[in-house]
Amino acid sequence: MTAKLVVEGLSHHYPDEYTGIDVHALDDISLEVEEGELVSVVGPSGCGKSTLLNILAGLLPYRVGTATVDGIRIEGPGPDRGVVFQEHAILPWRTVNKNIGHGLEIKRMPRDQIAKRVQEFVNLVGLAGFEDKYPHELSGGMKQRCAVARTLCADPVIMLMDEPFAAVDAQTRITLQEELNRIAMATKKTILFITHSVDEAAFLADRCFVFSARPGRLKAIVDINIPRGDRIWSDMNANADFLAARDEILKLVREEVSVATEE
Amino acid sequence: MNLVILVIAVYIIWSVISALIDNPARYLPSPIAVAMSSVDMLYKGLLPSYFGDTLVRLIFGSAIGLILGIPFGLLLGINRTVADMFHPIMNFFQSVSGIAIFPIIVVWWGNSDKTIFAVILYTAFFPIAFNVLSGVREIPIRYISAARTLGASRYQIIKDVLFPGAMPHIATGSRLSIGFAWRAVIAGEMLAGRQGLGWMIFTGQDADNTAEVILGMVMIGVTWIILDHYLLRPMEADTIERWGLVQR
Repeated sequence: MTAKLVVEGLSHHYPDEYTGIDVHALDDISLEVEEGELVSVVGPSGCGKSTLLNILAGLLPYRVGTATVDGIRIEGPGPDRGVVFQEHAILPWRTVNKNIGHGLEIKRMPRDQIAKRVQEFVNLVGLAGFEDKYPHELSGGMKQRCAVARTLCADPVIMLMDEPFAAVDAQTRITLQEELNRIAMATKKTILFITHSVDEAAFLADRCFVFSARPGRLKAIVDINIPRGDRIWSDMNANADFLAARDEILKLVREEVSVATEE
Repeated sequence: MNLVILVIAVYIIWSVISALIDNPARYLPSPIAVAMSSVDMLYKGLLPSYFGDTLVRLIFGSAIGLILGIPFGLLLGINRTVADMFHPIMNFFQSVSGIAIFPIIVVWWGNSDKTIFAVILYTAFFPIAFNVLSGVREIPIRYISAARTLGASRYQIIKDVLFPGAMPHIATGSRLSIGFAWRAVIAGEMLAGRQGLGWMIFTGQDADNTAEVILGMVMIGVTWIILDHYLLRPMEADTIERWGLVQR
């Protein structure tokens, strides 16, 4: 196994947007994500999860520590790291097809090749029949599927997901989680998934990184050894491995939430 | 149908008032008198020539205003700090109407075609540039971030995110610019012109030919309604609605 993403000694401070007071968001984070692995990052609000993602995406400059993808230091955004954002960030003026193919268009791939590859990913995320629709014609769940397809279609080394299913309703969320599991199985893509939902983290991840309350530290790593093929929500209540992992993560997160509330 | 009723109603009221007043030729010539004057002007070839002059000025002035104003607004909008700095300046200029800058241009260049053209250009440039700038500033950062994480260059961000994202504002701004330019053309021709509809109104008043004055006014209004209804509004509605940027 080779590590695709390596973070070493990463710390980050920033001044609060409103008060200007210094926020210590991340403290000495070191972690690795192996090739083909899906890891989740959970923690209480304000634990620096999103800060970490923005740094990894290259949208936020950092000074202390290092972060590398395939051994190359992260300096600004790049197509080696695909991002699925929290809110719908697909472009409203592009059809589903045009959104999914956008990364390839940016890479100046020939049009016929783009069309072929886009079709593949349209099918993968179950958007067949909606290729020519504009985002405002899609449901919330379909928009996020389109966002996932857009990221995957550009073939990044690692896909970074920032609470991508937080804005959809509970039923849709469960479906999207199962679909992401299926997609992870089919594409063997390396994925870092940020969430505040313990169930989601336990259901999706091979390993779960639990962060402490601010300043965000890597508190514990929980291994979840459930074969991807067995990960179906209707079976999870009878799955001892899932329940054990979920309870452990929940306990770890709860400790942090109570620390955060006491402060 | 409603339009027909409206036109007939206006015609009747206008005719009645015109028939009741003293010296209608001076104060309010009847619709028929105005129509006769248009026939007379057509016969002399002056109406088509004046109308053509005015339209050409409008088209050139506003086209150049838009061609310069759209990229200017986009470029200012790329950098948030630059955008925030220029926003009040652009707002200032887009509020100082063409007619208000007329005197200073006349001081510089006298009563000439150059003056009229400069005023039309000024009038068309600032509303569009200001609107595009506002449009770019309103594009959610996440769209730009998404394009950046796909590896988009600065140019690709302008082409794929900022330009289309500002499109509804470009459409609205263009309509405003052309509307203001249309007023500026007429005002410019009245103040510094030697031909055109504005000139026709101005000389009509001088010559005590009120029918010609009213004919000019009607021409201005009708031209704008046709332009707005059949060209500008559909363009605006099309871009905005197609992308679902405005819920109706």
